[in-house]
Amino acid sequence: MLFCLIVMGIAVFSFSGHARAQGAQSVIDCAIQSGPCTKSFADGTLTLDITPRPVRAMHDLTFTVTFSGVKPASDLVIDLSMPGMPMGPNRVVLKRAGDNTYQGTGVIVRCPSGRRTWKATVAVPDKGSAEFVFDVVY
Amino acid sequence: MSSTEVVFLAFFSSGFTVGFGHCVGMCGPIAVSLSLGLRQGKVLIPHLLYHAGRITTYALLGAVVGLTGSFTGVTSRIVGIQKGVMIFAGVLIILMGLAMVGWIPLGRIFTDSFRPIGFFSKAFRKLNAAPSREAYYPAGVVLGLLPCGPVYTALVAAARAGMESGEPLQGMFTGLWLMIGFGLGTVPALLLVGRITSVRWLTRRELLYRISSILMIALGVYFIVKALLF
Repeated sequence: MLFCLIVMGIAVFSFSGHARAQGAQSVIDCAIQSGPCTKSFADGTLTLDITPRPVRAMHDLTFTVTFSGVKPASDLVIDLSMPGMPMGPNRVVLKRAGDNTYQGTGVIVRCPSGRRTWKATVAVPDKGSAEFVFDVVY
Repeated sequence: MSSTEVVFLAFFSSGFTVGFGHCVGMCGPIAVSLSLGLRQGKVLIPHLLYHAGRITTYALLGAVVGLTGSFTGVTSRIVGIQKGVMIFAGVLIILMGLAMVGWIPLGRIFTDSFRPIGFFSKAFRKLNAAPSREAYYPAGVVLGLLPCGPVYTALVAAARAGMESGEPLQGMFTGLWLMIGFGLGTVPALLLVGRITSVRWLTRRELLYRISSILMIALGVYFIVKALLF
């Protein structure tokens, strides 16, 4: 019985990848394929842009964060994760590239399950963080 | 503890975490397939050899991305191979599922009455035979190329670590070392799955065998479909 349950559990976990991806799509709040996404942050706004477009998995990407009304004290980190699926830590370090602009390069990896929804958590030291959920292109 | 050791431990713990959270679901069927081809009490060594093969591939990929400092430059060149490996894995799982209940003329490979006839049967028998346990190492080397999100993520980090090390040769060893750490971290979860599903008392439980074999076949088909869409 234990064996059967294990095999069934593995099967359900494997097969449910697409279904969970469908569920995750409901929380997408950033149309990154169309352009930059902006969110209220601290006393101002934070804008995330990923180029080149279309934003593809397994390609070198440039991540740009622009602030308005906020002055970060140091470099930023973007934590890339897949909602509902542990993919290991994938962090992009963004260095100052202008008065209010930070930039860094990274890769969004491809999951063979077919899921394409990713979350970028922009962590700003001493200021908090902002999350952007978006789809990538395979 | 040096910074290299800290990063190695970070890779190991990353592998350990995704092992239980990701690999069991995505690569568990392969571990189950490998277990089903073995007799009770003779599971550990073949599985360790399989994981050693898998880690060898991770280490080599880590060395290459560490040397070049580029993740996409390497993965874009092996995507076709990965597709083929995924189809191979799917076929392997289907064959094991079919053979579990004797639906293909391989005989009941998991019972003592198994008498191989024909090419495929002999091949399975060879895989099962004690002197051929070494076959699990090359199987691990090949299946280590399976496309896998957490492995990609680890390779991205290994490429970055390699690039930051300054010297290409140093980068190569950094990438190799870190991917060994990641691979070792994934072993406990898959070893556990392989151990639990390798039990002899199942051989007389016909219904469980049939249900499990159907699930295995479905999983194999799922692997192949995903490979074709990859």
